[in-house]
Amino acid sequence: MRPTWRSGFGAALVIGGLLIAAAVAVVVIAAPSDSSPADPALPSPPRPAFTPENVPLGGPPVVYWAPVLAATTVRDRPAGHGAMAEVEARTPEGTANLVLISRQAKRAAGRLWVRVRAAGQPDDVSGWVPRSSLGGYTPVRTRLMVDRGRLTVTLLRDGRPVFRADAGMGTPGTPTPTGRFYVRNKLHRYSSPFYGPVAFGTSARSAAASDWPAGGFVGIHGTNHPELIPGRVSAGCIRLKNRAILRLARLMDVGTPVTVR
Amino acid sequence: MSGLTLESVDRSGAIAEAFDELTGGTRADFFRKGLIGGGAMLAALETPALAQPRNTKKDVAILRFDLNLEYLQAAMYSEAERLGQVRERTLEWSRVVGANERGHVKAIRGLLGRDAVPSPSFNFRGVTEDDRTFTETAVAFEDLTAALLKTQAVQVDSRRVLAALASLHSVEARHAAWIRHIANIVPAAEAFDQPTSKTKVVRLVESTNFVTSLPRTRGRRKPGFTG
Repeated sequence: MRPTWRSGFGAALVIGGLLIAAAVAVVVIAAPSDSSPADPALPSPPRPAFTPENVPLGGPPVVYWAPVLAATTVRDRPAGHGAMAEVEARTPEGTANLVLISRQAKRAAGRLWVRVRAAGQPDDVSGWVPRSSLGGYTPVRTRLMVDRGRLTVTLLRDGRPVFRADAGMGTPGTPTPTGRFYVRNKLHRYSSPFYGPVAFGTSARSAAASDWPAGGFVGIHGTNHPELIPGRVSAGCIRLKNRAILRLARLMDVGTPVTVR
Repeated sequence: MSGLTLESVDRSGAIAEAFDELTGGTRADFFRKGLIGGGAMLAALETPALAQPRNTKKDVAILRFDLNLEYLQAAMYSEAERLGQVRERTLEWSRVVGANERGHVKAIRGLLGRDAVPSPSFNFRGVTEDDRTFTETAVAFEDLTAALLKTQAVQVDSRRVLAALASLHSVEARHAAWIRHIANIVPAAEAFDQPTSKTKVVRLVESTNFVTSLPRTRGRRKPGFTG
């Protein structure tokens, strides 16, 4: 069928109308909502210089030690009258005296008291001291195991062995004391080949040397007689070859618990 | 407003019993030291920041200051968690907040790289072993940190550092509100929070006497051990 001029005109009218409507719509949509000029573009937000993530404490339990700030009495209970030992602020070697913290604290007589392990006679003592007599707590992750039967020392860090060495220990007449003790200090750069290059002081005391001028404390130190190691050769101290004690000095912290068995 | 500040916590006597007779003169001014140096000691230990733009001197000073405050908070929460002497309910929020604060330490140290300062040593004087004092001290430090970050926000040079500090600020404010709620203190009593100055922060932290010198545990005296 041939289109008439009328139908062609109608189609053109419809198309024209649609075009006008589209143009109006574009103008309306593009126009700003008010008469003010368009807002300037906002800067993009910066990437933060860091993004923190949670850090859980984790890890095996640690042992805490604290320095004794003022001489005090270790008591059998908080604010109790039973004196178990006197604890000085200094060791015989002139360093700060330390105690191990037992993680028990109680308020009594208006003060906070904490349970500690301190060097005693002949063994370490456990009792209560005022929190105010102690300094800040320092965590330790190491533990030293001393085996008198095998004449060895083993250092554990987070429960895993990181160091092992042969050792010289007390003679049958002057045995190295057994029990649980801790490292109180670390001495170096002194002039004494007998003790080697480094000496650790412990809280252990030799029963056979309690009248020793410096209190008869047992040390862990080097030696000028490496040929005697391993062996039962000392007056109670634990002797290592100099190379071993230097290595131990890099690994073992002050406050490290020591178990002698 | 609760009126809870570090000063009031310190005055309570529960933090530091008879401090005067104990450690006079041994306290380290760790904030001032932190601003001067110590970064070199960490240089070998730090992982270098990944292609980060270099921080300006002012930003380094601000971040070091924040790092010291974060060290203090992280150490306090860690010690409380490890000692386990506060109530279990307190330990529950303390574990979460402590993990955040340790994360802040790690992040700021990472950004500072070789400019980071090492942590000072602390003596919390029984605060980590006493539930009430621990909670009050936590609120005071969280409030303090949020107030400090508000001040620093307008001081930093880098927009990237600003964005990072803003992310810390809201977390510290959440901590403060959370612990305040637990401690029965109104979390948001005021319409506006006030910023605080670095000087005031130093004064307040010093008033707690939490920052100490490390005890001398090494010596050169000839051993007197049994041998």
